[in-house]
Amino acid sequence: MSRRLWLPRRHLAEKLGIDRRQFLALGAGALTSIASGGCDWKGPPGSGRVLRAADRWNERVERALYRHRAMNAAPAGARAAGVDFPGYFISPEVPVWDEAARGTWRLEVGGLVARPLRLTLDELTALPRTELRLEHFCVEGWSAVAVRAGVRVSDLARLAGVSADARYVDFQSFDDGYHESWDLDSALHPQTLIVYGQDGKLLSPEFGAPARVYSPVKLGYKSTKYLTSVMFLADRNGGYWSDQGYEWYGGT
Amino acid sequence: MDNVKRRHHLIVRITHWVNAIALLVMIGSGLRIFNAYPAFARRGEAFCCYPFAGHKIPAWLTFGGWLAGSRAWHFAMMWVLVINGLVYLGFVYLHGEWRDLVPRRGIVRDAIDMVKFYVAARRDHPRQGKHNALQRLTYFSLPFIAVASVLSGLAIWKPVQLAPLTWLLGGFVWARYWHFLAMTTLVAVSFVHVFMVFAVDPYSLRAMVTGRYDEAKSPERRNARPFVNLRAPAPPASPPESKGSP
Repeated sequence: MSRRLWLPRRHLAEKLGIDRRQFLALGAGALTSIASGGCDWKGPPGSGRVLRAADRWNERVERALYRHRAMNAAPAGARAAGVDFPGYFISPEVPVWDEAARGTWRLEVGGLVARPLRLTLDELTALPRTELRLEHFCVEGWSAVAVRAGVRVSDLARLAGVSADARYVDFQSFDDGYHESWDLDSALHPQTLIVYGQDGKLLSPEFGAPARVYSPVKLGYKSTKYLTSVMFLADRNGGYWSDQGYEWYGGT
Repeated sequence: MDNVKRRHHLIVRITHWVNAIALLVMIGSGLRIFNAYPAFARRGEAFCCYPFAGHKIPAWLTFGGWLAGSRAWHFAMMWVLVINGLVYLGFVYLHGEWRDLVPRRGIVRDAIDMVKFYVAARRDHPRQGKHNALQRLTYFSLPFIAVASVLSGLAIWKPVQLAPLTWLLGGFVWARYWHFLAMTTLVAVSFVHVFMVFAVDPYSLRAMVTGRYDEAKSPERRNARPFVNLRAPAPPASPPESKGSP
């Protein structure tokens, strides 16, 4: 009867030279400390480099998966979010273009282009209009349906004559310097719009008036609201959320 | 001493523990991602099938610290999990271990017998090979749950580029739900698995570390149900030669 059941509990307790009760108390304490302080943990030191490498790899995979013809359509039965669509901005208050101080709002299309544009809202809305009922995907995990009306970025690109050297597009705003740069492919996707209308009305300030970027091919945080300029660039230019640790690519 | 047999190949042991760690990271980071929107309903809609909408998962169960950190871990560890899983499945297929894992004829009857034994409606442990019928069924179902996790995960990750897949799963909202359910199932199975290791066959822990397993201490030999006959019977004074066929 000398054979003992091999259980780590006993084994370890014996090694430590403490009795079972003490060991259990110690164990409970250790578990509690793991539970309270140890978790919600960001990972071991040095893991950042590995994670960034994985993110670069994922971007390659996502770019390889990208298809110009992959389209989004909001599910037929889905209800438009309407007033339940979360408004979002980073300024302390809803950013509103101050015409008295800053003059007429214009959308600048520049960078590596042959014919830089500076479009007023009227000029923008006079361009070929695209209206799409789309499902918006937020990085937080929610989705929401809205009808978006605007001008294709690809139409603007053609109008401005984008140079062959352009590889990236930076969408900049008057919301405290919020901007996000994109790969050119995603920016030229047929569903990537400079949006000025939502659910049949002109864009309201909490949704990014007078104009914003919207595309179902990117997560919501890539779609700059309160847009001021669309810059075609040779190099990527980070972004408000991407610089803080969210994926730069952020594709869907 | 002859009873100690090699039970788990090195590749099985490595993939088992890599899987355990990767799964923990995936679940912890996934729960932190879920906490950014702990609900399933599309904005402006209701969702039928999740009664805890709006309640966050306790932070101590999560991993990654914040949404972006958890996403980074989730999207890095998914490769480890999938590649590790494929190595395991490939090995088990090529090396023949799948024979111990696929359901055999009479599996349902055998499983019922195991349940009867566990609830003490039957005296003797049913005959088994490497795994009992309940284990077989559980282990065999795991690759299917894994495939469900991966497919629903892909559908959430790429709802536009993989739109047909997302559509097949009922759309983005439902894909998230299937992903969550698959995770819940894996957590439940893992809890039962770990419980049974300690309550029925602690000797199997050695087998999953060193690969060696003492057949004389198998649950069948010990007639072990949870917390009953945990201790192996004392070895007889003289080693019997006729201890049955192995």
